Amino acid sequence: MTLDRILVTVAGIAAIGWVYWYFFRAAHAGAASRPAEGHHHD
Amino acid sequence: MTDTVTGTLPASEQCTITVGGMTCAACSSRVQRALETTPGVSTANVNLMTGAATVRFDPGAVSLDVLIARVRDTGYDASLPDPGATPETTLDAQDAERAAEDRSLRRKFAVSLALALLTTIVGLFPGGMSGEATGSAALLRWLQLALALPVVLWAGRHFYVRAWLAFRHHGADMNTLIAVGTGAALLFSIAMTVGGGWFASHGIAPQVYYEVVTWLIAFILLGNWLEARARTRTAGAIRALAGLRPATARVLRDGNEVDVPLAELRVGDVALVRPGEKIPADGTVLDGSSHVDESMLTGEPLPVPKAPGDAVTGATLNRAGAFRFRVDRVGRDTVLSRIIGLVQQAQASRPPIQRLADRISGVFVPVVMALAVATFVVWYDLGPEPRLVQALVSAVTVLVIACPCAMGLAVPTAVMVSTGRGAELGILIRGGEALERAEGIDTVVFDKTGTLTAGHPALATVHGGGRVLALAAAVERRSEHPIAETIVAAARERGMQLPDVAGFAVHPGKGVTATLDGRHIAVGNRALMDAERIPVGTLSAEADAQAARARTVVYVAADGALQGLLAVEDPIKRESGDAVRALQALDVQVVVLTGDSRATAEHVGRAVGADRVVAEVLPEGKLAEIRRLQAEGRVVAMVGDGLNDAPALAAADVGIAMGTGTDVAMETGAVTLMRGDPRTVVGAIALSRRTMRIIRQNLFWALIYNALGIPVAAGVLYPLLGLRLSPVLAGAAMALSSVSVVSNSLRLRSFHVA
Repeated sequence: MTLDRILVTVAGIAAIGWVYWYFFRAAHAGAASRPAEGHHHD
Repeated sequence: MTDTVTGTLPASEQCTITVGGMTCAACSSRVQRALETTPGVSTANVNLMTGAATVRFDPGAVSLDVLIARVRDTGYDASLPDPGATPETTLDAQDAERAAEDRSLRRKFAVSLALALLTTIVGLFPGGMSGEATGSAALLRWLQLALALPVVLWAGRHFYVRAWLAFRHHGADMNTLIAVGTGAALLFSIAMTVGGGWFASHGIAPQVYYEVVTWLIAFILLGNWLEARARTRTAGAIRALAGLRPATARVLRDGNEVDVPLAELRVGDVALVRPGEKIPADGTVLDGSSHVDESMLTGEPLPVPKAPGDAVTGATLNRAGAFRFRVDRVGRDTVLSRIIGLVQQAQASRPPIQRLADRISGVFVPVVMALAVATFVVWYDLGPEPRLVQALVSAVTVLVIACPCAMGLAVPTAVMVSTGRGAELGILIRGGEALERAEGIDTVVFDKTGTLTAGHPALATVHGGGRVLALAAAVERRSEHPIAETIVAAARERGMQLPDVAGFAVHPGKGVTATLDGRHIAVGNRALMDAERIPVGTLSAEADAQAARARTVVYVAADGALQGLLAVEDPIKRESGDAVRALQALDVQVVVLTGDSRATAEHVGRAVGADRVVAEVLPEGKLAEIRRLQAEGRVVAMVGDGLNDAPALAAADVGIAMGTGTDVAMETGAVTLMRGDPRTVVGAIALSRRTMRIIRQNLFWALIYNALGIPVAAGVLYPLLGLRLSPVLAGAAMALSSVSVVSNSLRLRSFHVA
């Protein structure tokens, strides 16, 4: 595997982790009272 | 209980905020979350279709201004509706807003389409897209950039602005996908345009994707525009209702006839209606007579006769005669306004199945973004050359094909069209939840009187001659019982003069007594005769025969001697048999429930073909019977007149209040039938079943579309078949998916009561 491929793979994994953190974890940090899956409401 | 004592129940107020600019389920979900997380707010319900947020809040903890600011902060417009607004004026404002949105989207689409065509044509010139490093090819790339910029900065600007505002609040919606997808393609192309020479010297051909950006935005605008138009059509039914009311009313002012705008009409005014005119407001006929077409409100096809003392309803059409009437209700209090208000509430409500759609669309966008990143990495690591370009195009395609719009539209469009269509047919469904519960009904309980029977008893026979009728009518004249009214009306029809009586007394549940010309007269049932110690032996066979024919027997006695009897009949409605058979065809069991005698009830049950008859039950007994059926695992609908059976209606899974004409207890049942035709019960169940089927189809197609589209866009078919999806095609597919969901819902507009 070439260096650019390794870099893109690592960056990709980091980006996915960031998406998860930003839209799920951090989103709920500011709304602790919300249910765990808080993007939706009954 | 007051909050100053316990502190546990803070005062709460409810307000409705108009929210503008929401385009998908993720939008409404985000506004809802922003409101719900505001301190002092107990509940918030945001509806995508009506663009309204209903908020319950503690006015001591949070102000309306803060709520408005909260919504604006999420990137959407927010305003408070005019406090004096009627459902009609709200509707006008919504119409104006929709028309403006329609114009704006159409203009943006037209410009984007033209520029997308030009960008493509320029790209077709030699060297335009192929990535040549010559000077003329570079010039073509700059030209394409110049053509693409207005599309991005003007026509598609709102996608980027909304995506950014959502992003700031850790939110992601369809705008995010469009902005990231087109933004990535655009930035890549700009880099190739600006640094084309540098890339070429490093062995990377400077390929550009401006036409992808412009076509994508054009297609998405087309989808939004078609969707906005279709959404406007889903509100057509309610607009038609609002359009029923005439603009002016002719009233008597200081003895003169003057035309006044409807807004100036006051309670107590005397209004005049000529043949062919619409009745301006609800009121009572003072003089004159006519036939009035009430079909627009009740679905009742036959004109209803009106005479002095009869109620007339605003927005209905006067046919033949002219009359004057006293205005009793205006503005928001009229039947029409109440119907519109109910339908609007129903259209804004969310059936439980919506939760599924909400749950999916809430997590959907971030998941798609992660999938797009993964697609990029896999194509870059394993894909063919040019890897960077292939990886980028595949990732953009994934972002673009996966849009939760269809998911967000699946439920609300169907609820909206179905409740609107129901209103046109005289079937008012109170909301999404009622709709969903009505789907599962397997038992319909009819409270006999007024639903299967006319509810207006008529005199069937007189045993003992006109003298008996005259005696009975003279005494019953003082009573308000429906049977008494029937007897009095029958006597008057026969031209009888009714003398005054003295010493009138009511014996509840038995009958009445009074003194006439010094004689003691008793009019009532067998129980009254027993109480008065009057033998009925001579007429008991006749009485039994009448009872077996579902008639109510009224004995008439004078000074302790039986004079004769009257039999009163509540005729079975013509349509009852058809309604019962149609219900049974839908696998619904039909039960007749009544407080009447067993003989009467069984006669009616046999005549209409009911599966079961439950007779001689008191109002509390009706409730117990509903509970018993529910305990058997049945989903029970109770059909009643909504006035004296409210507890049973409330206890049933679906309470159906059946009115006769516009005089109906509209707010009692989960479903209100404006017409006394029992076949509309079948219509209500059939409509709910059809609606839920359409909702499931919508959700299925929205899910299947994404489940198939995303893997294909990511390129899973490439290793096997060499098949890939272009981003432009993905944009077209996305637009098509939302339009097809809305069109599917619009099929409900053709629903008819069988």
